[in-house]
Amino acid sequence: MEILYVLIPLGIVLVGVAAGVLIWAVKSGQYDNLEAIGRRMPDDEP
Amino acid sequence: MSAIDWTVYDRPELRDTVSTDVGGGRREVLIGADGMHCAACVGRIEKLLADVTPDPRISLTSRTVEFRFDPEQAPLSEVLRRLDRAGFKPQVLAQDGGLQGQTAERRDALARIGVAVICAMQVMMLAWPSYTDGGVIDPGIDQLLRWAQLVVATPGVFYAGWPFLRGAWLAIRGRSLNMDVPVALSISIAYVASLVRTVLGGGEIYFDTATMFVMFLLIGRFVESRTRAQAGERLRLLAGRRKLTAQRETPDGTLETVPLSVLAVGDRLIVGPGESVPVDGELLDTAAELDEALLTGESRAVLHRSGDALLAGSVNLGQQPFALRARSVGASTWLAQITQLLQRAQTQRPRFQILADRLAGWFIFVVLLLAAGGAALWWHAGADHALSVALAVLVASCPCALSLAVPAAIAAAASRLARLGVLAANPAALSRLSRVDTVLFDKTGTLTRSDLTISGVECLDARDEAECLALAAALERGLTHPIARAFANAPSRKIALDQRQVPGQGVSGTIDGAVYSIGAADAAADAGIETVVLLRQGETALARFTLATVPRPEAAQTLTQFVGAGIAVELLTGDSDAAALALARQLGIDEVRARQTPEQKLERLRELQAQGRTVLAVGDGINDAPFLAAADVSVAMPQGAALTQTRADLLLIGDSLAALPPARAVARLADRRVRQNIAWAIGYNLSVLPLAMAGVLLPWMAALGMSLSSLLVVANALRLRAAMPPDTAPEPRPPLAEAC
Repeated sequence: MEILYVLIPLGIVLVGVAAGVLIWAVKSGQYDNLEAIGRRMPDDEP
Repeated sequence: MSAIDWTVYDRPELRDTVSTDVGGGRREVLIGADGMHCAACVGRIEKLLADVTPDPRISLTSRTVEFRFDPEQAPLSEVLRRLDRAGFKPQVLAQDGGLQGQTAERRDALARIGVAVICAMQVMMLAWPSYTDGGVIDPGIDQLLRWAQLVVATPGVFYAGWPFLRGAWLAIRGRSLNMDVPVALSISIAYVASLVRTVLGGGEIYFDTATMFVMFLLIGRFVESRTRAQAGERLRLLAGRRKLTAQRETPDGTLETVPLSVLAVGDRLIVGPGESVPVDGELLDTAAELDEALLTGESRAVLHRSGDALLAGSVNLGQQPFALRARSVGASTWLAQITQLLQRAQTQRPRFQILADRLAGWFIFVVLLLAAGGAALWWHAGADHALSVALAVLVASCPCALSLAVPAAIAAAASRLARLGVLAANPAALSRLSRVDTVLFDKTGTLTRSDLTISGVECLDARDEAECLALAAALERGLTHPIARAFANAPSRKIALDQRQVPGQGVSGTIDGAVYSIGAADAAADAGIETVVLLRQGETALARFTLATVPRPEAAQTLTQFVGAGIAVELLTGDSDAAALALARQLGIDEVRARQTPEQKLERLRELQAQGRTVLAVGDGINDAPFLAAADVSVAMPQGAALTQTRADLLLIGDSLAALPPARAVARLADRRVRQNIAWAIGYNLSVLPLAMAGVLLPWMAALGMSLSSLLVVANALRLRAAMPPDTAPEPRPPLAEAC
């Protein structure tokens, strides 16, 4: 079971990444307005 | 319409009322853009504002643009002129402030919830082996899992749990107790004790308890604040739509746009067609017709002659602008006095809240005392056990389910009501709605449609009915007068040239070369219930139209349902006796009071309340506002005055009275759920507390029990969204935005 000494820290790192991505997504406004996005046509501007 | 002088919005006194300082010399402003219809419009506005502000917040659903600007570099007037020229009909909305930081707050709450959920789940997984294999687990792995839990739980407690720690610290520093104190205490005891034991390598740890606790409490708070914020957003937009400027005539005869706040008594003001009167004043032109329906409840156009007093908020129905002399300004206008009456009515409400706050303080004190008592009781069994008992007491007594009991049910009921076409602006009113036993209705715009309807056509000449209607519709086309609006739906391919409106007499125009006119038949014949209009060609009368305010099609059924449920129904109106009695007969209402002033309406309401009645008031006009505010539950119609809508508890966004009885059914159901939830939550807390004190209930069991209990309460509340009160199929709601 020595592999757990690698897997558990690795799992923690992945959790950290997931939490970081979530915070980034929320703070950059991804969840601000869930209904209006669907109405918005694809913008052909760069 | 003439070009609008936007530069008035650059004057400091007006600029400071419509925008708020956000620091760094920049200001934030909210603008209504009624000309915005589709996603392409959003893109155009973004481009128009590109050099002023990098990220405007454009909402298609509410048709508003919110952005920050630097008054030094880009004056507000410049932005408004651009939007106006692009056809977006900008309208600067008055800001009440206080809701600015909402987006940031919501993002923050979501991020914390996300972290709390992730951490709680991970800690649970890492803690699982020690629960299931306690004793046989390899000591090295056991220690590894403890350290792993410590690492994962740390952000869960300090980042996600920060609002509780901070709230508790602020309360203690202010020498008071709030709900955050026991929460912060239990998570910090759990964390610190577990930390010490992890480092020393032995004993029970409580990271799972701490993180799970934070997660459930955060979710509970979020649900509660969202319900309030959603209703608040719509009200903020409504409140903004009041008039802020007036057209003033300068001594040399030119017009200038000025903020209302600088107007003085005696100023000569001009009110354009379709515009509302900015302040109370005296009419200077020979005659003008005004729509005062929202102010007084009078359903027909009111003709004023030179020298008559005009009320602020009434709308010019004529084709021509008229002049008036300001007679009272600022706080002395009729509208401002109504607003004051309103505030007085509102301040007499929340006694219950104060009581609840005082009780909460005592409750927390008792909990802390019990936790300390539990620890002292078990001190003889060792510090470890004493700590475990104290923690179990703190967690078990957490009124988590209790604090969710009401908001969860209210949130579920509010979403249920929204599907019925009712916006619960003040969710707290739902519990009162379930106890309502008397309903007071306003007449115009509430029980009746606000517009006149053609109820009869009598042909007096050779022409047939369809042709007469077509002629009349052509003459009235494009006018805002109530009589003209009645003809708006009549089919007509004819075109009237040289259309001319004379206040108090009617409209004339040329159709196919002949001169026609339409106007009130005879003022004396007008009995007050219906309006009779004559169509003439030259001097020959062609047809007689009878116009009446008809009750809403769903009114009779709604009233029957209320009466059937044993609820008293009463009609209070500012309109004439004849009109009120006719409607009451038609709908079968026994109690009628006509010619009521706002004060009289309020008085009648207080009288009913003094008899112990729980009163639901339905209205739409500004004259209804005070009595709506004082009612136990107030309902406003969507086409009424913005002022009234902002103060109402419920708003009928579906524009149908038929939603009221089912709304009451939902409220009763919600009330039952709230009671069940509260009973369960209190029962749970009371029954586990002795177990925790006795040391039987371990902290992790307390945390699990609390979580399950909270879930049960939420699930019970959510049943409201699915359950459908019988025989109340909802009206289909109109789509929010039309096609471009």
